[in-house]
Amino acid sequence: MPVSAPDVIARESWFDVDTGQLDRRIFSDQQIYQEELKKIFARAWNFMCHESQIPDPGSFFLNRIGEDHVIVVRDRKNQVQVLLNSCAHRGNTVCRAEQGKTRSFFCSYHGWNYDLDGKLLAIPGEKDFYRNDVDKEALGLTKAAQVSSYKGFVFATLDAAAPPLEEYLGWVGRLGIDSIAARGEIEVVDGIQKNRVRCNWKLAVDNLFDWYHPKVTHGSAIRTGVMSEADMYPMNQMVMLGEYGHAIGGPGVSEEKQAQLEEKFHGKNQSDSADRRDYHNAWKTSHKAREILGPVGVRSRGHPNIFPNLWITLGGTQACLRIPCGPLETELWWFTFAEKSMSPAARRDLIQAATHFFGPAGLLEQDDGENWSHSTRASIGTVTGNRPVQLTMGQGHDEVKLDPSGQSSIETVVNEHAQRWTYRSWQEWMKADSWEALIENHSPAPSGVI
Amino acid sequence: MAVLDEMCIQEKMLLQHEVEQFLYHEARLLDERKFDDWLALLTDDIHYWMPIRRTTTAREIDDEFTKPGAMAFFDDDKKYLEIRVKKMAAGNAWSEDPPSRTRHFVTNIRIVDIQGDDITIEANFHLYRTRLDSDEDSWIGHRKDVLRRIDGNFMLACRHIFLEQTLIMSQNMSNLF
Repeated sequence: MPVSAPDVIARESWFDVDTGQLDRRIFSDQQIYQEELKKIFARAWNFMCHESQIPDPGSFFLNRIGEDHVIVVRDRKNQVQVLLNSCAHRGNTVCRAEQGKTRSFFCSYHGWNYDLDGKLLAIPGEKDFYRNDVDKEALGLTKAAQVSSYKGFVFATLDAAAPPLEEYLGWVGRLGIDSIAARGEIEVVDGIQKNRVRCNWKLAVDNLFDWYHPKVTHGSAIRTGVMSEADMYPMNQMVMLGEYGHAIGGPGVSEEKQAQLEEKFHGKNQSDSADRRDYHNAWKTSHKAREILGPVGVRSRGHPNIFPNLWITLGGTQACLRIPCGPLETELWWFTFAEKSMSPAARRDLIQAATHFFGPAGLLEQDDGENWSHSTRASIGTVTGNRPVQLTMGQGHDEVKLDPSGQSSIETVVNEHAQRWTYRSWQEWMKADSWEALIENHSPAPSGVI
Repeated sequence: MAVLDEMCIQEKMLLQHEVEQFLYHEARLLDERKFDDWLALLTDDIHYWMPIRRTTTAREIDDEFTKPGAMAFFDDDKKYLEIRVKKMAAGNAWSEDPPSRTRHFVTNIRIVDIQGDDITIEANFHLYRTRLDSDEDSWIGHRKDVLRRIDGNFMLACRHIFLEQTLIMSQNMSNLF
């Protein structure tokens, strides 16, 4: 067969929204990756941590925005700062513990010392070597352009032109975070699981919407009896699509079923429910949940993704960041959330479920990595890289229904609507040269037949 | 059972030998994928636990590992270890089919405490794994095990696994340590 090798970066379109065909080389091309760092990660609001992880002045947590390493820290005025972890002098790292508490950030190279808000406090030899000829005001740590918090979830962007966080999230992104925050007063359980998978970050992201794979990929976990096939392969699917690429995909319950559940759990202490499967549903059956999540959102049992890379699990107990490390590697960071008011038994149950299902040793997640890494590997091949990914399931067969509340959803069977929305949005981000252009040219949330 | 300090050197050497032979035996069962035989060596009340390790400053080194009850990589009782083994035998556990090739090394074995029938052991380990054509994983760390003598034979009553890695450099940990 003749082998053609068109220049990926020069292509008009990587994703054909009309046919669901996606250029596989976006999963391995180095130039595309470099563009993603600039046009997606440096531009987007990125999840940093939950405020409970940095309770006191001086508490810090290291994270990344693309390949920029940042320190998330509470300063002396109790403000959350996001500082680039790089000394103004030579670029060395000024904070090397991944979390903890400190009084300042001290560079181990020449001893430049920075305050918790990034201000340069002192440099050795300022008088004797620099002859007092140094502008310390101008040499603080670089700060993220904007830092903001939504219900305790701290986000940062490196782009001053980014719209305010709540506007960026839109109702779908906010619903995603609400599906953790609405449980009550929550905190992160100590211990962020981190591991590295040899795959492109986008494969880890789009998989969270994929309710086609569990029955096969996770068939062995189903066979052990720890989860039912009905849970892993639910027929009733609900998809919500929001501007800038946020989406929620996965199981949903009908209005009738929701009403039954609200009846069943009314007045019960939900977090102490003996049955874990019921617990996942139980907290979404209160009047408070309906009020916060909305009449459509409250029926979703699916997976939100806050674009670009924050997955929130169904049940709202965990979130996972997919952090890019070059086009061919991704780190997965798991955050686990418990209500402060939980009984010790319920808290134990939640933590056990988190440990047993997800993370590198989790019964479910064990089997995901190789699928993604081998899909990444195929995107490098001359022939296999030229064959497009098929994201065609359900295309043209469903309809976005708008509720009087303003929330909208697609209610259907297993489908690839959210994956198509993710790549359509990704492409719009990649084609925009600025936030202004992205605001101007991004797709509104779809309506009608989809 | 005599406490450690009161044992003579011959008694200690005999016990050391028995402990080592047990650890080598169960390591071999894991490498040979005889997981049901391995499960038979565990007491019903076993706690199999691998906390999460973090890079901290020397000043905050007490916070390096997550504590029991917080998040962990493994936090299993016997029932859950049986589920892990059942999963591997299910015929569609793709992370272990084709099977991983593993080699467990156990060294620096020290008997650190004896309480009744329970003998606390500290040991270093190296678990080496290859998968498919080019996947290679290496996990090094130390373990704190409790061996319990029941009817003259050892059973494993506790295994706490402390890895040297903070960020796990592997796609998964579908193996037993």
